[in-house]
Amino acid sequence: MISVSLNEIYSETYKALRSVNIEWSLAKDCANKAKWLAQHDQSFLGSILKTADFYQKKEITISINKNTNKKPLASALVGLLLVEYVSANKITWGGYIDSTKFLLAAMGIIAEEQQIYLILENEKKDIMAFTKDKNIYVNSNLDTNVPNYSFLRTYDFIKKKNSKFTSFKKNKDVTNLNDKCWERLKSMAFETYVPESETSKSRAGY
Amino acid sequence: MSFQNTKSNLDYYHPIRPPSTVMKLDRLGSFHQSRLSFTRRLIDDLKYQKSKIEIYQWDIDNSGIGSAIIKIALKKETLSLVIFCHSINDEERTDRVIAEKWDMTFSLFRGIPNKNELNQLFKNLKIQESGRHNSKQLTLSRANKSQRIFEKVLNDLSIGKQPSEKLINDVGYLVRTTAVYGNGKFGIEDFSKTNGHIFLEKPFQAEMLTVYLVRYFSIELINFLAKKKGGKKSVNLSKHLTKHLGVGNATGLGMAPFLVNHQELIHQWIYNRETAISRVFSIKRLNKKTQNKIINYIHQAFKYSLQWKVDDRLQSKKIEKLSLDLKKILQNEELTKLLNFHYPIKRFFNFFKDDITLETQEILNSIFIEPFPELLEDLINNMGAEEKKSVLISYTVNDILEIIKDNFNWAIKIDTSKPEENYCFWYTSQTKLEPRLGITKKDAGIEKQLPFDIAHQIKQAVNTLNKLPSNMTTAEVMINHPELRNIIKRVIINKSMPYSEIQNNLIGKDMKPIDILRCKLSFFGASKYDPKSNLWTRVTLFQGAPLPNQLWKKNINDWLFPNLSNV
Repeated sequence: MISVSLNEIYSETYKALRSVNIEWSLAKDCANKAKWLAQHDQSFLGSILKTADFYQKKEITISINKNTNKKPLASALVGLLLVEYVSANKITWGGYIDSTKFLLAAMGIIAEEQQIYLILENEKKDIMAFTKDKNIYVNSNLDTNVPNYSFLRTYDFIKKKNSKFTSFKKNKDVTNLNDKCWERLKSMAFETYVPESETSKSRAGY
Repeated sequence: MSFQNTKSNLDYYHPIRPPSTVMKLDRLGSFHQSRLSFTRRLIDDLKYQKSKIEIYQWDIDNSGIGSAIIKIALKKETLSLVIFCHSINDEERTDRVIAEKWDMTFSLFRGIPNKNELNQLFKNLKIQESGRHNSKQLTLSRANKSQRIFEKVLNDLSIGKQPSEKLINDVGYLVRTTAVYGNGKFGIEDFSKTNGHIFLEKPFQAEMLTVYLVRYFSIELINFLAKKKGGKKSVNLSKHLTKHLGVGNATGLGMAPFLVNHQELIHQWIYNRETAISRVFSIKRLNKKTQNKIINYIHQAFKYSLQWKVDDRLQSKKIEKLSLDLKKILQNEELTKLLNFHYPIKRFFNFFKDDITLETQEILNSIFIEPFPELLEDLINNMGAEEKKSVLISYTVNDILEIIKDNFNWAIKIDTSKPEENYCFWYTSQTKLEPRLGITKKDAGIEKQLPFDIAHQIKQAVNTLNKLPSNMTTAEVMINHPELRNIIKRVIINKSMPYSEIQNNLIGKDMKPIDILRCKLSFFGASKYDPKSNLWTRVTLFQGAPLPNQLWKKNINDWLFPNLSNV
């Protein structure tokens, strides 16, 4: 295991995603979500590597309209865009989501920053997560590791059934990660660096 | 506190200068240190904290090799600077971030490290970026001795002689840092962890404290080595000369992207500075004492300009013109009369502004706000900013186009199709993972460029937005056009934080990165900018600042534009 800072998680994540040509803003959104998950003691690194791999193989999509069970929406990449869209347009969105934990992170971020009340439901309309008063509460039955068909919407009033919900608490500033996965992420990030040219070196104090 | 230094003496608010005036690189590149600078604030905070700074451990041998710990006792916490001094050959010593060996390596540490932690620090500090660092470390830094001065001063002191004032003045430091890393770099503590910590939660406080302690260490080290070398014949460096020694710093492009990447923070710094200027322009009357203070500061700035020597031809010319401007102001017969008028500072500035350079205008602004710390307290203590990860959801296509029309006219005016407006590109270098500037038509790597082509992105956004329904939400735009998310977010931030955007084409041929560096360094509190090219500069920090044993003295924070009067 290797101990890394949140700043390292952020910077290595967005660079790694840039190495597979993911749009700047999506790469940075994903890095922010990864940082949020780390702060809330949730795993994220394997999903980032998987997202980069699936993105290259076109096994995930960033389209909110054209997603399927086989090619679900990459919430690691567009989770924040999706919660902003649902919140701004006050619509109910339904679709297949990959790595749901990143959608939870996006919901958590928008709850903290813009105090928006959102609700995530499964295919049977059971509540899987909701935001309230800057916090996110997650149904303990939610499996974030498999693609889920989900509904996302804003809400004014919530009626919870007998499910157990856990609040994600911000409690971590240092994260221990699998060192092999971390090295893989760093080596991807390294691909975004450029060998320095002589023009660059000249007058730069070399 | 006198009446004139309170907000009650302001019976109107002078409008603050618009971003279209302030956010141009030539002006940003003319900023000087001021009351709002972080070095100045650190000294105030150390005094407020009743901090006690002392050598806790000293294992340095006669040749200056070994380790030391400096302990800083604050009101509620103890920190320490851990120092290792290494033996390196002269040819291995380089200023630039690309170096791999240094005379000294440092880390600011929470608490005092135990034996195991010290061993870990010993192994990792000397290799800096290549090491793996501890979450109790607040900073990571290194420095080299100044080859122009260190040995000379040591020899003089060892034979009982004070070094020449000219030498001290010309160089201004014994050691020069080449990087001071903070905020989670290489595994050290994240800045976010300092939330709620009254001393460390201010931007760059840990970094500034590190540099301040490096200065203290460099002075202790030279006195120690002189004693070891000269025995009874040796003397300590005089108080007068000691105070005039700061810490050198060599800064390059690594610093530049910060101002582009941290919009909220740069807005806060510049907005606060402009608010400070506006407040002092709104002062109705000045008493005689304050008038004299202002005139004295101009005298000091004039002397400082005469002692500010650089090799760079362009900066030399600017300094020459600065000296002439200040001399002209000091010799003007209207000077005393102007300061006696109603709204004296505003009238003073308006009287001279058309005949002086930007460099002089901005040194005057630093001078004007200097006598009024009470008036600026809220600004000095509010230099941080919260950065949002999400994009505010309440905007439409029409809103964005309106903001662009109002705030980004500078970008619209740029003909982004011209080769000179696409002259260079920013990238991260493989060598030391530092930002660099490539030439578009010569260098490889443009496909990996950093997104600093703000003017180009604005134009692209306008083209797309003009084709969309005006009431469409920006959230809907971004979900269909993720490539516009970066610029739409910037535009929305700029709506409420108008000083968040540099109003020049950052990939244009005319752009001088040194201006970006100078702006940031002025907020750090640097002095004696000494550009070595358009891409890097040397500066001095804490020159003239009180030493740890002087922190309790009255008016200790009056050290704007340090100069040695006899030089």
